[in-house]
Amino acid sequence: MNPTITDSTLADHPSSTQLKDILVVDVDVHVNETPQAIAPYCEMPWRKSLEALREVPQGYLNIPGYAQAQAPWPMFPDGSGRRRKTVTCAKEMRKDLDDLGIDIGILFPDFFLFHAALQQADYAIALAKAYNRWLVEEWLGEDNGLKGAVMAPHHDPVVAAAEIRKYAKHEHVKAIYLPTAMVDPFYGHRRYDPVYEAAQETNLPVFFHSVTCIHPTFPFNMHGFSTLFSAHVMAHPFSCIANLLSMLETGVPVRFPNLRVAFTEAGIGWVPWLMMRIDKEYNERRRDLPFYKGRPSEHIKKMFFSTQPIEEPANLRDLAALISLFDGENSVIFSSDWPHHDFDHPSKVLQIPVSEEGRRKILGTNALRLLNLEVAKR
Amino acid sequence: MKKEIMVATVAELPEGSHKIVQVGSREIGIFNVRGELYAIPNVCFHQNGPLCKGAVSGTVRADEQTSWKLEWVQEGEIVVCPWHSLEFNVTTGECVAYPGRRLPTYSLRVEDGQIFFPADK
Repeated sequence: MNPTITDSTLADHPSSTQLKDILVVDVDVHVNETPQAIAPYCEMPWRKSLEALREVPQGYLNIPGYAQAQAPWPMFPDGSGRRRKTVTCAKEMRKDLDDLGIDIGILFPDFFLFHAALQQADYAIALAKAYNRWLVEEWLGEDNGLKGAVMAPHHDPVVAAAEIRKYAKHEHVKAIYLPTAMVDPFYGHRRYDPVYEAAQETNLPVFFHSVTCIHPTFPFNMHGFSTLFSAHVMAHPFSCIANLLSMLETGVPVRFPNLRVAFTEAGIGWVPWLMMRIDKEYNERRRDLPFYKGRPSEHIKKMFFSTQPIEEPANLRDLAALISLFDGENSVIFSSDWPHHDFDHPSKVLQIPVSEEGRRKILGTNALRLLNLEVAKR
Repeated sequence: MKKEIMVATVAELPEGSHKIVQVGSREIGIFNVRGELYAIPNVCFHQNGPLCKGAVSGTVRADEQTSWKLEWVQEGEIVVCPWHSLEFNVTTGECVAYPGRRLPTYSLRVEDGQIFFPADK
């Protein structure tokens, strides 16, 4: 990282004036949880591990022993290093979101996008607990539009459920983050039932969020590719598809009928394809999923899908048509992924030629419904 | 008719450097590439990012002439948008990823160590 680059590049670059009249809820922005930052919130002996990590060089989303990106791809100078890609405090995040024209942001971690890859379960659980303590203490103290997603460590779903219940009453905790990259087994496995029970009981939505890596877990066993280009194309949507299918297999949508589900950072292009594909398959293999009454895609229509990285076809009317294929005006939710390398500016989503009402839903009010947020609408 | 305006001094722009100047309501990036001055808008056509805040370096090429091997070319001519890394040739305004798609370019005039932005642009 170049230490001289501190400019967010947003400050003197005002957002579209049109955004001033629209409530913008961003369901995916990232906080930078360094080992140093969360060490004071971590239980022993793992605090010692975090203190030891001070000596380890840190890269973008990459700290060996904490969040190893496993990125064996070449880099070229200045390819994407010329703006800061971390947000280190609530004040900085609030300023950035103001510059972007975003009213409400749901906070997700940076390094713990790789959380499910941690093999030492006690360590991983301690990190998740420390993250949640740190998030509530350092980021959610004010009523300023920053909202938290409590992290649920997949290593122990009973602990995860306890964390959900512990933080659910906090006035600014509005979601549950399920680390999705490299998770094994997938989130349809019945071992995760306690997580969904807690989510339903506390009325918090679950968010699936993946990240790009190479890992010997389907669908991250991407060693056949030689570029980050291909791996990044695959990693996010394929892990969402795999986990969504897994949930359908065990009947999560019917066993937890009030569970609200959202998928982030996978774009939306895959959604209508998956719906049509599973409906076709269901005709022949209903006995595999006997708990559905009619097209299983009806359950996908009730789920939420965040925009970033929003597809950018040459003709944006194609994107509006794609959204109409799955009633997306009621289920697509805006996300920027700020401050990561592939963030989307909300003005891009503003350009999609859906109806004015659809635009307001996608940029804000669908997310209010998902998050159960009461906000005065503009 | 708009007046030609002084936007920078030659001393402010040594070879290999670039800076952003204000021209009315617009921001313009001025680049010194091997002693020649070039100017393009500070707006990327992808998501309107501040293109000229990016770094200038070269880029890679691979085609029949290189036997499909990557070659490092155009050192000092390519600016990379700090938002999403789209590359532009600052000497022509051309986008590397989309040949034929160009940003406007402006001819600057130098006199007595001062750099002037054209009157009619």
